[in-house]
Amino acid sequence: MDIVESLKMAGKTITANKLRSGLTMLGIIIGNASVIAMVGVGQGAKIYAESQFQSLGTNVLFILPGTDNARRNTIAPPNRLILADAEAIATQVPSVDKVAPQLNGSELATYRNNAKRASLIGTTPEYSPVRNADVKQGRFITADDVKRNARVVTLGSSISKDLFGNGEAIGQQIRIRNISFEVIGIMDEKGAFLGANQDDTVFMPFSTMTSRIIGRTSPYGVAVQVITLSAKDNTNVETAKFQITNLLRLRHRNTSSASDEVTFTVRTQKDALEIVGNITNALTLLLAAIAAISLVVGGIGIMNIMLVSVTERTSEIGLRKAVGASQSDILTQFLIEAVILSVAGGLIGTGVGVSGILIVGTFTPLKAGVSMGAITLAVGVSGAIGLFFGVVPAKQAAKLDPIVALRSA
Amino acid sequence: MLTDSQPSIDIPVPQKTIIKLEHIYKIYGAGDAEVIALDNVNLEINQGEYCAIMGASGSGKSTVMNMIGCLDRPSSGQYYLDGEDVANLSEAALAKTRNLKIGFVFQQYHLLSQLSAIENVMLPMVYAGIKGNERVDRAADALKRVGMGHRLKNKPNEMSGGQQQRVAIARAIVNQPVLLLADEPTGALDSHTTREVIDLFTELNQGGITVVIVTHELDVGRATRRIVWFRDGQVIHNNLSPQDLSLVAAS
Repeated sequence: MDIVESLKMAGKTITANKLRSGLTMLGIIIGNASVIAMVGVGQGAKIYAESQFQSLGTNVLFILPGTDNARRNTIAPPNRLILADAEAIATQVPSVDKVAPQLNGSELATYRNNAKRASLIGTTPEYSPVRNADVKQGRFITADDVKRNARVVTLGSSISKDLFGNGEAIGQQIRIRNISFEVIGIMDEKGAFLGANQDDTVFMPFSTMTSRIIGRTSPYGVAVQVITLSAKDNTNVETAKFQITNLLRLRHRNTSSASDEVTFTVRTQKDALEIVGNITNALTLLLAAIAAISLVVGGIGIMNIMLVSVTERTSEIGLRKAVGASQSDILTQFLIEAVILSVAGGLIGTGVGVSGILIVGTFTPLKAGVSMGAITLAVGVSGAIGLFFGVVPAKQAAKLDPIVALRSA
Repeated sequence: MLTDSQPSIDIPVPQKTIIKLEHIYKIYGAGDAEVIALDNVNLEINQGEYCAIMGASGSGKSTVMNMIGCLDRPSSGQYYLDGEDVANLSEAALAKTRNLKIGFVFQQYHLLSQLSAIENVMLPMVYAGIKGNERVDRAADALKRVGMGHRLKNKPNEMSGGQQQRVAIARAIVNQPVLLLADEPTGALDSHTTREVIDLFTELNQGGITVVIVTHELDVGRATRRIVWFRDGQVIHNNLSPQDLSLVAAS
């Protein structure tokens, strides 16, 4: 008996009992849909995170206090990254264009009866060009504001909406820690960036933030949490990183090459992308692994129902043997049924998964990719699962004694 | 000119032996639990015979039917089917033998419920590797031969028991087997339909097919021309005439 006959026969059996076939496929459908959707969402998250970083511009570098290792292994090491470092970089490193030191905080901002917890960023005018953060209305902090310790703030778009509704914000006074600040501008919408919503941020001059809100936090000077800077042209990023590292090592007296004595980390956009890529890849893998479990459960479901089906179809098997089916004919027939069920389930599941991805893409910023690789893999794996879990029932069917099988009707 | 006017004379031709069982034993279990189902059975059935295998329950008639039908292998002894030694064939070779040389008819018809009448009849040809139009034509012919030419597309549940058994008989003869082997073919039928099905067997036998029916119904046995009577796994009467059946059955 050739494969075409086997396929036709399996097709007949599967369509003859649609409810059972559907239920058999259900596990594989769910498993496959979740694999496709989860991998898609994971990839969407990766693409989204990467696009966020790319919107910063490729010539951006970040300097963070301490090292990854130190942050992991010790309790709050003294922060040696200070404002003077930022000023030194700006004046002494030739490949650097603009430098924006940054202080972070979180404070309650109030306007009349409206209160909202806002993330606070104290920085300099350079922040706006370096981070591609543009002002929608009014102006950003100026060098003059920084010099005068001016009590002025530029608001992120959503915090402005929270405090002022649709009313005019510019020129109004908001209060943070019971100090009045004049609103001088409102930023463009930027959306969340790695968990921090930039639209919820209140920007104020660096000097104002140190003197009014935070104060001196490091024995070495005015500590900064991040220094964001831009290199002069795109090809210079690695050079800038090298020069900055040298300068800061001198300033911090980190002459030892042992990396855990280093008191700062310089990261380019590429480094950051790699880190984000690693995180999102791990996330994708985790999601896919969880989804794969349901695929295996689906396979067990197929085996389960096929085993029941062998018992139910004992007399059919006996008859087929009596009219000339050999053990291998019966084995092939049941295996093909299992594979058809699982591959069909796989294809339907793929359809469901892809629809899920499209729906997620419509309602969230995660523009999930439908990956051909994941689809091929998932359908292939379903087929393999059908084959694998079909073997036991098919063998059982093939081994049935026709005399016993015929008597069972 | 002479030959035309003379009456034709039946010249007995040497008949081909279809079934030849020699010293067949079938023993189940071992030691104290040993059951001898067939005890030195010797049996020959020739081409064109119309034969019933009869006996009480447990007499070994079902076991011998499984043996003749190549569904089971003897514990010892020789079995020649259509001249071929089949006692020691492999599983796959036995399947092929069943496919090409034997047509089975069962008490419960054993039609596949998801298939139409013609698809059921085509089943043995599927395993024989016969394809396309030939398969369809032969199946339709077989169904016409059993008087079911008008119900080709019907599913088993749309047919009466007698009709289902006719379809099953069409399936049994479609591969032109050397032997039509029926196991209690009328056990599930009423007396009127039993008559019709037996007439069909008689008609097929007259058409040249060797028919062996395993039955416990005396009426069915009487319709045949030779009865083999089993008791305790042995052949008691090898060639009983239908007229003597009542005497044996009563004993």
